[in-house]
Amino acid sequence: MRKFSLLLVILLLAVAGVGFAQDAPTVAVMTPFLAQPGTQIMVENFEASAMEKGWSVNVIDTNEDIAALVSRMEDVALQGVDAIVINVDPTQIEPGLHAAADAGIPVFGLDSGAHPLLVTNVTSNGYTMAAETATYVVDRLSGAGNVIMFIFEPYPPVQKRGAIARAIFENTPDITIADAITPSFDNGPLEGARNAMEAVLLAHPDAGSISAVWAAWDDPALGALQAIEDAGRADEGIVIVGIDATEQARDAILRGSNFEATVAQDFAGMAQKVADLVESHLGGADITQVNHYVPAKLVTQADLSE
Amino acid sequence: MKDRGSTEPARAAFSPERFLRRYGTLVGFILIVIFFWTQRPGTFMTIPNWVNITRQMSILGVVAFTMTIVMVTGDFDLSIGALASLVGIVAGTTFQNDGAVGTAVALSLLVGAAGGLLNGVLVAYIGISAFVATLGTLTVFRGLALYISGGASIYGRVIPAEFSSFGRGAIPLGKIGATDLALPNLTILAILALIFVFIILNYTIVGRRLYAIGGNMEAARFGGIRINRLRLLSFVISGLGAAVAGLMLFSRLSTAHPTQGEGLMLQAIAAVFLGMTLSEESQPNVGGTLIGVLILGVLANGLTQMQIDTYIQQISTGAIIILAVTLSSLSGQQRHYGRWLRRALRRLPREGD
Repeated sequence: MRKFSLLLVILLLAVAGVGFAQDAPTVAVMTPFLAQPGTQIMVENFEASAMEKGWSVNVIDTNEDIAALVSRMEDVALQGVDAIVINVDPTQIEPGLHAAADAGIPVFGLDSGAHPLLVTNVTSNGYTMAAETATYVVDRLSGAGNVIMFIFEPYPPVQKRGAIARAIFENTPDITIADAITPSFDNGPLEGARNAMEAVLLAHPDAGSISAVWAAWDDPALGALQAIEDAGRADEGIVIVGIDATEQARDAILRGSNFEATVAQDFAGMAQKVADLVESHLGGADITQVNHYVPAKLVTQADLSE
Repeated sequence: MKDRGSTEPARAAFSPERFLRRYGTLVGFILIVIFFWTQRPGTFMTIPNWVNITRQMSILGVVAFTMTIVMVTGDFDLSIGALASLVGIVAGTTFQNDGAVGTAVALSLLVGAAGGLLNGVLVAYIGISAFVATLGTLTVFRGLALYISGGASIYGRVIPAEFSSFGRGAIPLGKIGATDLALPNLTILAILALIFVFIILNYTIVGRRLYAIGGNMEAARFGGIRINRLRLLSFVISGLGAAVAGLMLFSRLSTAHPTQGEGLMLQAIAAVFLGMTLSEESQPNVGGTLIGVLILGVLANGLTQMQIDTYIQQISTGAIIILAVTLSSLSGQQRHYGRWLRRALRRLPREGD
């Protein structure tokens, strides 16, 4: 048992070597989603920006456990870090936000959503992402044709996208919205859109009767692409666009299919932006803007083959 | 802890060796505390931080204490985390349908007891091994939680303020120096659960019989103990513990997510195992479980304050659990661990109950 105590002391001393207190500002980055690619890009870029600024960064991931994230947030609040950056829905971690507020520690959202207890939140603008792909369609069709929309009203961030795209199409006199479909999710993300698109193709059998498919996210765009290819109508020049730039969507765009464009959020840019905002806040600047939007980028085959 | 159901010879006179072997984990815990104290003198050994640790560990505490009862009989309950999640969803759905707090709590406890009853019937009366039965019900409970909630979290205005304020509330105890001392409501619930389990295991006939079942089920049966009924009871208590923990978690976060309790199960088992090293016979005991829970809580809190990478935190926490159990076996307790494990394994295929 003496061995146990000895080993314990060695282990703890090893840990102590890592944890010496620094004078530089310390920023805790807290998320339950570090395993997700977008979050990883954001955290890596935040660490890079912080290193340039000479900060010490403490990345805390709780592996999808929200309750544990709240506990760790209470810990860093008591420890007295200089700022906290979160990548999680703030409404789900309110006790942690209150602990930070009580300790006078500013909390910043990184693609997390706005909240009164956050200094500010940095994210992408859903309205402009939808505008990018909708204007791409209008331009490609030279302002005339039948468009099928895939929308999803129950989820506010996706509903926004649909509303903007609809406004743009309706503002173009010779474009007709032939159908606006809410796909079913019962059999996974692709199947519902694919079934719906098959029905649309049967209802519009003439070549050229459908000019474009605008989807509020990539999955229904991919489902529609499958339906169009399997119906042997890939050569009619139907233009398909999505949003989010998933791996599968990039592949479809790169191989030169009807899927022509999607929108990629600039995760690296968001991380740099939040680091800059933390810096100016620590420097005494007053930040009143609730959400800071980092422009997202339209992705086409030309961008991917660069 | 007192000797129970043991056939060990009477103890020799006090020896330091024996003391360390028996209380090594406790010594380790104290060393960990002293270590963090020296590393973070300004923030670790403070009243607000210890109040913080007790609040953070209260939910795990409740499930670990009630899990101790199940493990005393030599069984496991793998379903508690999923059951805690399900209970949160049941309470949240009650609120969505304009149910009162009392209705939601009553329904939740009912669901917890029913879940425990199902486990108990499967294990004690149908004779499926606890491992397989509760693995099955874990999946069922998780599926139910996802089905009822549609996979979405329940939060926001539907949750009555009195319910969510409970999880964040505390009873003021006055001032110590300049610091306000207040005991969090969640900590109080955990203390009540601890007292409840302590009394059952140490001061009731039921407790003695549970230890007898864990010691030697056949002998207990011949001794006239109603084994099935007691094993059923232990699972019902575990289910109730999961229900209370699920409500505590929901109240603390003001959010019910269909998988939010799932981290509890492995941590609860780890806490009970750590506590077993504090018993002469390596039996589950609730005092030891308390130390186990505190070790896990202090490590998470202290390592976070020291800005240790979260993955290194997981590695060191796992290493300390293995270290504690290994060294307590090396120092002469392996017979007991072997016996406990053999018993548990023997029950894996099917029980001749």
